Amino acid sequence: MTRYIIRRLLWVVLVLLVVVFVTFVIFFLMPSGDPALRFAGKGAQPQVLETVRHQLGLDRPWYSQYFSFTRNIFLGDQNGWPGLGFSFATRVPLKDILFERMFVTIQLAVGAAVIWLLVGIPIGILSALRPRSLMDRGAMTFALIGISAPVFFLGPLALYIFWYKLGWLPGTGYKPLSSGFGPWLSHFILPWCVLAVLYAAFYARMTRANLMETMGEDYIRTARAKGLSERRVVLKHGLRAGLTPIVTIFGLDLAGLLGGAIITETIFNIPGIGQYTILAVRRLDLYAIMDITLVAAFFVTFANLVVDIVYAFLDPRVRYD
Amino acid sequence: MAEPLLELKDLRVSFPTEDGLVQAVNVVSLSIMPGETLGVVGESGSGKSVTFLTVMGLINRKSAIVEGEVIFQGEDLLKLPVDELKKIRGSKIGMVFQDPMTSLHPFYKVGYQLAETILAHEDVSKKEANERAVEMLRTVGIPRPDQRAKQYPHEFSGGMRQRAMIAMGLSLNPDLLIADEPTTALDVTVQAQILALIDRLKEEFNAAVVMITHDLGVVAEHADDIQVMYAGRVVEFGDVDDIYYEPMHPYTWGLLGSIPRLTDSLKERLRPITGLPPSMINVPKGCSFNPRCPYQFDRCLTEEPELIPLDGHHAAACHLSLADRRKVLSEGVAIQR
Amino acid sequence: MTSRRILATASLVAVLGMIAAACGGNSNTANPTDSGSGAVATGGTYRTATQEFGYTDAFDPTGEYLGSAWGLYSQLLLRGLMTYNHKNADLGGNDPIPDLATDPPEISADGLTYTFKLHDNAMFGPPVSRVITSHDVEYAFERINLASLAAQYGNYYCGVIKGMTCSEKKLAPVSGIATPDDSTITFTLEQPTGDFLYRLAMPATAAIPQEVAKCFLKAGDYGRFVIASGPYMIMGSDQLDISQSCSQIAKNPISGYNPDKGVTFVRNTDFDPASANPDSGGNYVDGVQITINSNVDDIFQQIQQGTLDGSYGDTPPSTVEQQFATNPDLKSGLHADQGDRTWYFTMNLLAPPFDDVHVRKAVNYVIDKAALAKAYGGSLHAEPATTIEPPAVNPATATYDPYPSTNSAGDVAAAMDEMKQSKYDTNQDGKCDAPQCKGFIFLGRSSSPWPNLNTVAMQDFAKIGLQPKLSEVDTTTGYTTLQSVKKLIPVSLVPGWGKDFASPFGFDYFLFDSRAGLTCDTAVDYSLVGITADKAKECGVTDQFNAVTSEFGPIGSVDSKMDECVAKSAEEINQCFADMDKTLMEDIVPWAPWGWGKNLVITGTSTTHYEYDAFGDVISLGWVSVNNGLAPVNVA
Repeated sequence: MTRYIIRRLLWVVLVLLVVVFVTFVIFFLMPSGDPALRFAGKGAQPQVLETVRHQLGLDRPWYSQYFSFTRNIFLGDQNGWPGLGFSFATRVPLKDILFERMFVTIQLAVGAAVIWLLVGIPIGILSALRPRSLMDRGAMTFALIGISAPVFFLGPLALYIFWYKLGWLPGTGYKPLSSGFGPWLSHFILPWCVLAVLYAAFYARMTRANLMETMGEDYIRTARAKGLSERRVVLKHGLRAGLTPIVTIFGLDLAGLLGGAIITETIFNIPGIGQYTILAVRRLDLYAIMDITLVAAFFVTFANLVVDIVYAFLDPRVRYD
Repeated sequence: MAEPLLELKDLRVSFPTEDGLVQAVNVVSLSIMPGETLGVVGESGSGKSVTFLTVMGLINRKSAIVEGEVIFQGEDLLKLPVDELKKIRGSKIGMVFQDPMTSLHPFYKVGYQLAETILAHEDVSKKEANERAVEMLRTVGIPRPDQRAKQYPHEFSGGMRQRAMIAMGLSLNPDLLIADEPTTALDVTVQAQILALIDRLKEEFNAAVVMITHDLGVVAEHADDIQVMYAGRVVEFGDVDDIYYEPMHPYTWGLLGSIPRLTDSLKERLRPITGLPPSMINVPKGCSFNPRCPYQFDRCLTEEPELIPLDGHHAAACHLSLADRRKVLSEGVAIQR
Repeated sequence: MTSRRILATASLVAVLGMIAAACGGNSNTANPTDSGSGAVATGGTYRTATQEFGYTDAFDPTGEYLGSAWGLYSQLLLRGLMTYNHKNADLGGNDPIPDLATDPPEISADGLTYTFKLHDNAMFGPPVSRVITSHDVEYAFERINLASLAAQYGNYYCGVIKGMTCSEKKLAPVSGIATPDDSTITFTLEQPTGDFLYRLAMPATAAIPQEVAKCFLKAGDYGRFVIASGPYMIMGSDQLDISQSCSQIAKNPISGYNPDKGVTFVRNTDFDPASANPDSGGNYVDGVQITINSNVDDIFQQIQQGTLDGSYGDTPPSTVEQQFATNPDLKSGLHADQGDRTWYFTMNLLAPPFDDVHVRKAVNYVIDKAALAKAYGGSLHAEPATTIEPPAVNPATATYDPYPSTNSAGDVAAAMDEMKQSKYDTNQDGKCDAPQCKGFIFLGRSSSPWPNLNTVAMQDFAKIGLQPKLSEVDTTTGYTTLQSVKKLIPVSLVPGWGKDFASPFGFDYFLFDSRAGLTCDTAVDYSLVGITADKAKECGVTDQFNAVTSEFGPIGSVDSKMDECVAKSAEEINQCFADMDKTLMEDIVPWAPWGWGKNLVITGTSTTHYEYDAFGDVISLGWVSVNNGLAPVNVA
């Protein structure tokens, strides 16, 4: 197992290197414009442009920039380890910005995840146990709407209703937990819920389908034949097998969100990685784009690893040697 | 005469579907005495499994229409609330299923699954339940049962798994063990071991056994009575000798013809029954076996034959005259045991 | 004894403070609306938000080239020799007035020497907290001169002030700037420069304290350490420990400014109104908060909700604009002011069929400016333009309209007359019919509302037989495409141009002076006015250049006219540039200007006084007044 984990971790590093490489190539080969032009003002004189280019490190060939970028990640730069470079737009070291924003995004993603699990899975279970019942039909209608309703539609709608019209919530923005539990919660509850709707709907459907399949398995019949209570048959024998695949999906979904919930963060003005992604892309902020890509790729590849390991604990048939 | 342990009276089970009503069990009556072994034989889809799943209450009550009575130890199980039924399942009636790979939960240790059964019915400590589980594994002939109890089903061989299933079915010393094709998924040599095990345990636990199978050969040595089912009906019933030496239904002849026998000459090929079992939605009019019956005549197409007693115990549902059947029997079907 | 006295003094101060606060509160409620001069409420905090600061040089005044940053520097944070009154153009907002200088300068008879006297009690804010001297002003020019600081509009000084090159490797005194004493500074120029005072009102020239700025010698690095000299400072400036080493200082930027989150300005405790020009701002509010908010709809919802006091640079959604335009209660919060920005078609002098001046003139006649302005969003966003320079930039062109038409809807007959004279109208029916009239690229923007404008333009083109191929791209791509001379984009509706400062030179310099605006990859002179054979060769367009010049003669240039005009005295300069404007509009015809852009600001009911700053083209924070009574909080 240990050898397996080490091998997988090396694999993660390799994937990250490739991702960084591809992003670099895309950045330099796509005609998105010269970032230096943006930061040299209108009608920039060649000498000014050259100075800016040099200071941003853009005067070197892209592979040389790629090399020093990756080297800095491993060895650190003047701002410490890992060396994540600085923002072209603000000339601020990106390391602190990204870690601070990552923390915000983690709160958003984890909060939403808790909600969608608490909502989606029970709905899925109830639907699976009473297929074609009124409750099931209602839940699946909700799921269909939830899956179809985009965040950029639900977000402003929720804001309009709960903040602007009803005045129950204080509007957009982020308040750290240090400013009090109330403000923190009241700023997060709406984005959590809006973000969770889609996933809750998706998880309800997935749970329902998985559980219905599991409940038709022979071993469920065995459990019933043993005289176990229906509650135990469902919650112990059914869910254990039915929810295991969901663990995989959940790991990847959460990881995807940790890379930044772009639309939710933009609408609710939450200073996380997703909001920064928009800024970085708009500013052609090379290192910021690279770092965000790296962070997102890290979360996804790492989550893959974690999911695989967790799976080995959940499903005794799976073993890595 | 002693009270039967289990008695089915005019049991009918049907499932409404979008395509129509599926008549899975179309009037089945039978009785099993304590300590008796009943073999239930039929092709897949003949209603034999559904009959006993109904006994256990393991078919979805909402999606099925069940009529008749299932009297177990004087109580009609069909009228029993689910909670009461649960108490009987596992403890008074044990069940062993066909495929031990899929019938055991892949995520739980074998010992745990056994102990769980005990804990569900008896107020014992977990430790005691575990000890009894190990003991049961030993009883069914699993070597090093204390270690095996801590393993998962996928770490067991097929035969061992089925032994574990049997251990589970018998763990609460039930009065009735229903074994639904207990050997179908196993190698021939293992089959024999498992059947012998059931025989032995039946004596040891003094339980009645229902052995459901599609293979007449399996029940030949192990059953007292045999009931042959076709298309949701009982077409022939009798003790082992009746069925093997004097089968009185063309379907039973067919079944016997498809048993490979060591004494068969190489020239004598197996004679499987031609055709397919009927759809349970559109059961043929008259005798449901008529499309496949080489001896069918006009009456078979219109009139449904009743299960008519031939002598005290033996009964068959066929329009052919007794004389005709004896004639066919003496010419055609070679009976050798 | 001593401690008791301190205590007593402290409590007295506290009581006075409470009274002041109470009075402030009273006067706020007593004057809920603007009642003109003198009675504007003070106190409170102007709370606003924007999607992104968008700074070009990370808010470092030496290089920063963004109008809204200039507004913040000029209205609140920094003081140079000259400033503005930070009001609308018709209230004198485009005229430089003395700031650190006590009076307008003494100018020598040859127009080459400018001497200023400085206020002797003007102070830098915390943590520097010392008197501003002439050396601090000179230091700003040293920094402009330093190549590594990449002064983005250094051209306004280098080659103008003696000894300035903008390419120095080290900070060093500028030979053309003398500081005989702490309160006197003299500039010696290379040639007379009629709008020099405008250039001294630019933020790059504001006094800069060496003790902090010396630590930041790369473009943009000083941006989070800007020390106040104006009436407001960035919150937390006083926490800066400048006794430390540069590397330590650099690690702890001012806490009240985070480029991705927001900035809070509070009153500069060292600011002495007696040292300042009272016309430059009322400084009513106690603070200004600008929060970054990624959701622009939310910004305007918050203004209506009262959690923000007004907008800052972002265009309101059309629904909000409608609401404010129609609701009488809200109407006073809708402000549409001249942006001193011209929207135009650029036509390439080297690309057929626009290499023929008659075609370019015909386009000027035919375009329906009213329809374009309507498509752009209506009268709150733009009004039809008659020439290149907006009226506020050059009053001498205010009535100039070389291509007039009824209701600015275009004069098709005149356009066809013009087209008849073109070689591309072979049968002289007033419609372009040569092969070159079809299929050439017309570059437009793809973002809303621009596709509507592109449609109007295509219809107008068709009226004179032009049938281009429309290519819609995002704005950044549009500009970068145009900036590449080699691409020779024939015609485009992408560009707009705003002034740097309200002298016509400040508007026209980069646009038409081929020495400034015509670089091969970063051209702003998209039409290639003044392109020479050498330049054409450098940029790889020699063949086209030769073809056009052999057919139509040399390409028009205004370089020498530019030199002539800029040397004129302040009184004559506008007329000279108006003449140049005429040459451009009627002889060279690189543009077809269609609109003068406006800036739309929305303020909520809590904003009781509003002024527009014509220099920064933003709301004037030095004059804004609110009745929210709030103390500023750190939003960074």
